[in-house]
Amino acid sequence: MTSTLDTPSRMDLRWKPRDLWCALAGAVSLALVVWAASTVALPVTSDLGLVAALPFPFWAGVLILNAAFFVALRGDTEGPASRPVMIWLVAVLVLVLFGTAAFVTDVPRGEVAFRHLGIANALSGMQQIDPNIDAYFNWPGFFALLATVLGATGLDPVTLALWAPVLNVSLWLVAIAVLTGYLTRDPRRRWLVLWLFCLGNWQDQDYLSPQAFGFFLYLVVLAMVLGPLAAKPATFHGFRPAGLGQWWRERTPAEPRTGFRLAALVVTLLLIPVITASHQLTPFMLLLVITVLTLSGRVWPGRLPLIAGLVLVLWLLYPASTYLAGHPLLENSGLQIAAEANVVDRVNGTAGHLLVVQLRVGLTVLLWALAALGAVLEWRKRRLDLRIVLLAATPLLLFPAQAYGGEMLIRVSLFALPFVALLASSVLLPGDGSVRPSARAVGALVLTCFLLAVLTVTGRFGNAQYDVFTRSEIDAVAAAEQLAPPGSSVISAAHPTPWRSQSYLEHRYRTMDDLCREDLSPQTCGPIVYNYARHNPGGAHLIFMRSTEASVVLQGDNSPGEFTELEEWISMQNGVQLAFSNTDARVYRVAP
Amino acid sequence: MSAMTLAKRPTIILGLAAVVLALLTLVGLPTPLQTVAAVAVLILLPGRALAQLTPVTDLALGTLLVLALGLATLTAVSTAMFYLAVWSWQACVISMGVITILACIARARQEAAS
Repeated sequence: MTSTLDTPSRMDLRWKPRDLWCALAGAVSLALVVWAASTVALPVTSDLGLVAALPFPFWAGVLILNAAFFVALRGDTEGPASRPVMIWLVAVLVLVLFGTAAFVTDVPRGEVAFRHLGIANALSGMQQIDPNIDAYFNWPGFFALLATVLGATGLDPVTLALWAPVLNVSLWLVAIAVLTGYLTRDPRRRWLVLWLFCLGNWQDQDYLSPQAFGFFLYLVVLAMVLGPLAAKPATFHGFRPAGLGQWWRERTPAEPRTGFRLAALVVTLLLIPVITASHQLTPFMLLLVITVLTLSGRVWPGRLPLIAGLVLVLWLLYPASTYLAGHPLLENSGLQIAAEANVVDRVNGTAGHLLVVQLRVGLTVLLWALAALGAVLEWRKRRLDLRIVLLAATPLLLFPAQAYGGEMLIRVSLFALPFVALLASSVLLPGDGSVRPSARAVGALVLTCFLLAVLTVTGRFGNAQYDVFTRSEIDAVAAAEQLAPPGSSVISAAHPTPWRSQSYLEHRYRTMDDLCREDLSPQTCGPIVYNYARHNPGGAHLIFMRSTEASVVLQGDNSPGEFTELEEWISMQNGVQLAFSNTDARVYRVAP
Repeated sequence: MSAMTLAKRPTIILGLAAVVLALLTLVGLPTPLQTVAAVAVLILLPGRALAQLTPVTDLALGTLLVLALGLATLTAVSTAMFYLAVWSWQACVISMGVITILACIARARQEAAS
């Protein structure tokens, strides 16, 4: 009952010519994408991001890949193409969508991955946890893992961060493949869910982070809950207490082997504390989803939500108590605050950036609309699995609970995405699994998914003008951190800045837009930054980079000229010297 | 006959591989080999040893459990060592090697009993 239903495709080892052609087409598309991406010149100058810089062969590769996948998915009357071919095509899609930046540059995108490397580096140096440093040291699980892996493997941290998106999405897909196996018997739909998940995953949460790790373990727990720990609900006797009690008691385990259920419970009980120790948000999402599934009568161990809740409360009361003392859980809660932080504050900037934001919203709305339609279609066919709807909708409940730095909506859409993709797949493949899609339907699917791929690449790499760093910028940040004496300040104009990966605890890191509350005009911000730098006993090093200027301009926080004026104003003050410069950055030393 | 005598060959190989790779990782290997050996001894072998204690027959679920159990156990061990202020990556390698061997012994007992 709870094995991952049937094999996703034929296990027949004899490959048909069509399978070989599809595999070859996958290889061709990968070659095209890698070559095309490697020709992109940095820095990216368009406010549309990488999409404007990728040459035509990249898109030809994406189109060929979608065509190959859907020809393979169509397969023949026995089902889709052989499993190795389908896995290969999904692997190519992962490389195409999530490895693109790594084909463009050897520097990881964004600031946060660098910071996370710095935390792991700091932990390795301290060899213990000081929760007073910051929030990360109150949820240190992922960083402890990272410190151990980096120490033992000798891997280059930057290379690991560069390829982390490919690694993380691959892990997620293994988990999604298993859990969708418990939710649908249709092998074509199961492959399509993986495809749609990749195409809808513009959220960019797969970098080297506790979120990516937590999401993987979250999916594994769901696989346990939907599989060996699932329950068959009893006949519903109404909402009266006696009827509800009878309904609850009469549910039966879906997995008949007691040993398997016990083993799955032990695995789950290991994963829950690890998730809780590794990430702030994921345990809440997990608790919510497990509770809703349990209340629907679809989970056999009825006390699982209590255990997950207890672990979470204990973690908050003890290891994370230092952070929570100054940061109450519901500090930024409420629908209005969440809406302002997650939507209103993000719809700003240049015309190109606004278009990217709108396309991200459009892609999400499109997938949710397809999912809603899919749910209706399944319900009308009397085969709607309530669990899928609950898993897709429940993350929304967390939206008003915390603004989460304006990222809650992104996280909510990520947590819902596997199940949104599953519901949407029933619109795109309306048959019952035995029906082979027509050639015309395959053509429509290819075009639809190509469009989704364009939207995802646009949304995902839409900030490339400022989150894809040049080698010169990396050199400038390294120079600033090297020149700055311990205890002094390192001040960048704005986020993202690729810093703190080597000296997380050695300096005070600030940005000018934080110090000046996003008003970077020289009259206002200049004196604030200058006085802050002068009053630090160790002085300060100020970093002005092309990417940080692009960041504030693109997001509408400042006009292009103001940034240059601010730099000129600061550079003319007493005790300010140019310490390093190259084509994309300048570093100034401010004497105390 | 002892449980180890009755254990199946893959379990014995798994336990021996954990010992050998842990030693090699601690001694140090050239970079790509060190990476492979460390990933195996820290994540894949413990994950496999723990996953085979469960009666999973499905390949996809088995693969998922190897990865999840390996990563989760290493996270738990590393985090605990940091909180106890006894962390070093070498100590983690030894701990994960010991966990792998203990899981192999438990598996050997299962195999002997069946």
